[in-house]
Amino acid sequence: MNKNSNRRRFAVGLFATAVALYAQGGGRGAAGIGHTPPPTSPVTGNAANGKALYYSYGCYACHGYNGETGARAFVGNWGNLGTEERFLAFLRGRANVAPIPPSTSMPNFGESSLPDKPAKDIYAYIRTFKSTAPELKDIPTLNAIVESAKQEKQTGR
Amino acid sequence: MAKSQKTSVGRRGFLKSAAGGAAALATAEVTSPIAKAQRENNAGGSTTAAGVPAPTQEQLARDAGNVRPPAAVRLITRPGSDLMVQTVRDLGIEYAVANPGSSFEGLQESFVNYGNPPNRMPEWITALHEESAVTMAHGYAKAEGKPMLAVLHGTIGIQHAAMSIYQAYYDRVPVVMIAGNDPDFIAAHTAHDMAGMVRSYTKWDAEPKTLDEALLAIQRAYNEAITPPMAPTLVVLSSELQKDNAPNARVPAYKPPQFVTIDATHAREIARGLIEAQNPRIAVGRLRTPEGVNRAVELAELVGASTSTAATNGPMSFPQRHHLCGPGADTAYDYMLGLETGGAQASITGPTLAKIVSARDRDDIGFGGLTGGGGGRAGRGGGRGNVSAPPVEADAEASLPLIIDEVKRQLTPDQKTKIQERAAKHSRANHDAHVEALTKAVDAKRAGWNGSPISTARIYAELWPLIMNDDWCLSSPSGFSGGHNTQLWEHNKPYSYLGGQGAGGMGYGAPASVGAALAAKARNRIVINVQTDGDLNYAPGVLWTAVHHKLPMLTVMHNNRAWHQEFMFVEYMAGVRGRGEDRADIGNTLRDPYIDYTKMAAGYGMAGEGPITDPAKLSAALKRGVSAAKRGEPYMIDVITQPR
Repeated sequence: MNKNSNRRRFAVGLFATAVALYAQGGGRGAAGIGHTPPPTSPVTGNAANGKALYYSYGCYACHGYNGETGARAFVGNWGNLGTEERFLAFLRGRANVAPIPPSTSMPNFGESSLPDKPAKDIYAYIRTFKSTAPELKDIPTLNAIVESAKQEKQTGR
Repeated sequence: MAKSQKTSVGRRGFLKSAAGGAAALATAEVTSPIAKAQRENNAGGSTTAAGVPAPTQEQLARDAGNVRPPAAVRLITRPGSDLMVQTVRDLGIEYAVANPGSSFEGLQESFVNYGNPPNRMPEWITALHEESAVTMAHGYAKAEGKPMLAVLHGTIGIQHAAMSIYQAYYDRVPVVMIAGNDPDFIAAHTAHDMAGMVRSYTKWDAEPKTLDEALLAIQRAYNEAITPPMAPTLVVLSSELQKDNAPNARVPAYKPPQFVTIDATHAREIARGLIEAQNPRIAVGRLRTPEGVNRAVELAELVGASTSTAATNGPMSFPQRHHLCGPGADTAYDYMLGLETGGAQASITGPTLAKIVSARDRDDIGFGGLTGGGGGRAGRGGGRGNVSAPPVEADAEASLPLIIDEVKRQLTPDQKTKIQERAAKHSRANHDAHVEALTKAVDAKRAGWNGSPISTARIYAELWPLIMNDDWCLSSPSGFSGGHNTQLWEHNKPYSYLGGQGAGGMGYGAPASVGAALAAKARNRIVINVQTDGDLNYAPGVLWTAVHHKLPMLTVMHNNRAWHQEFMFVEYMAGVRGRGEDRADIGNTLRDPYIDYTKMAAGYGMAGEGPITDPAKLSAALKRGVSAAKRGEPYMIDVITQPR
């Protein structure tokens, strides 16, 4: 077996593990909605331009249409998005990360692909995102699910 | 593997007799009343201008449908295919599914006409594609724990089915297949070794030369399919064997397969370990049949062990909300038994596919994951990172009665009391753990609750109250749509969730759901198919099959108008290369135009509604859909969703 096939096998193994974890619902949502307050730092970009770029650069594919659903929700978890500078640094931060397996991690967005201006426009747009999650008491369906589980008698088959 | 060496002498002989019969009929026609009348008319000089005799009154009457044709002489009174169908029937196979093909016309005719009543057990199911046919059988087997039959048409049918066979093989699911072979008809549809095309990913195949061998081969194909490691099997049946008269042939007595079990000593040791432990644990992976699940429950209850389950990964595992299922009152387990999964002190797992692959992958194709001991269910649903004991290679399900008998024999009244107390503690702890986990999960599902496109979490959350008191089966893989069922729903039946595709191949969800719905139809059960859009477009004709056979199936489209995982892959790759990340949609999206799935469904005769973009309208639509499915009217709701 040559080096490449070893590498490929390792890569496929990693990928399979990642898929399995994803398929089991790992790594998403279960920990609850984040509660980091929205940033208040200055924004210099144009949110209207940013909206179109948010779609054309495929941000919605992972972060949902308003940043609070999907595989990588960030509304309420603003850590890397606290300021424009941190956002830009975050975008450029993985230029040296090129894993062999297919990855659904945050891609690197280098300046050659996403220059500062449109990047700042995207930032301006995502800063308009707010949590739309209703209070639990206002969602009868979800309440009923929990209440039902609390009251149920477990099955003995 | 037998090659097709039989000459076509028999068939030619048959054709010769048929030709002789036709000649005799032609001779007879000369003296028939019609011919006589015609001659008389001709004698009377009644001809057309072109010299063609004018039709007789009798001919005119027959053309108008007023005269019955003479009764046909039945040359074949007991075709071999009748016995083939009887053999399949005796195996308890409920359904045979096929897309029609000349190579099995004899067999198909027997399926629909032989027996009283005909076309029952098995019932002939119409598929629009062989890939759909085999995946239907795949879904059925996962729901019922037993195979149904897929019938394939020669070389072309086998190759159409190849992907589905591979997927079922990788999933270790039993599917029995028959392929017709007619060497005298269309050359391109036959081959010297037809099964060779899929031998690397079938468990067993045969091409019998006589009817007696054929009937035995069908029985063996069934046994091989259901014996671990379970997998698809294939019997190639010549059209000649199907069509020839077989006045003296008999269906051979069926001998059920022997399952490899642990030995008595090992059963005693395991029983002792479980009884003497202060806090035993049983990790349950994927068993073979519902009966195996019942036995696992019986054992857990006997010894008061907390259990883990693979029921949120796939079928045939421990009921998720059984009072013993969960971490239990104490997670310091001192004896852990693994059933088709790892266990710290003992582990019983069936053989992997690796052995079969090494013997049958003669071209050394080396399918990934199948040769290294993977590619099966063993290891899934395991035990919280415990170091596993070396597994004993045996069938856990077949071994369970031995362990249960030993436990019953060894248990003392004092131990029984202690076990009851422990079980009560586990029950309370598991209930609390469940409510805590559910509360946390539900909190997360609030995100985007009122958003449009609709969140995938809301689909599963709105569905659950509508089905939770019914007998239901989630037939579609849920990984791509967030896996919300694993957190919100309770998987308490062997068929509650049928899990993934097997080999990760697309085009699985809808046909597997139709197969699961075939299983559900006679059992007052409904099937829920949360259908990803990319997956449906492989072979949507299966929707017609669901309508045609009146299957209790609700399809809810997870319509995100893209292959989003691949979108992410390409996006990442463009990022690595520092270019064109705004072009990753190319080839990964389904827009310009959007696909109208309710129109697609309507084209196949399926009722439905959508596209739904307003989440406030979702629950009512789902309610209508569930009601329709309960009436045996498959229904589709197209929901425009968030990507994941």
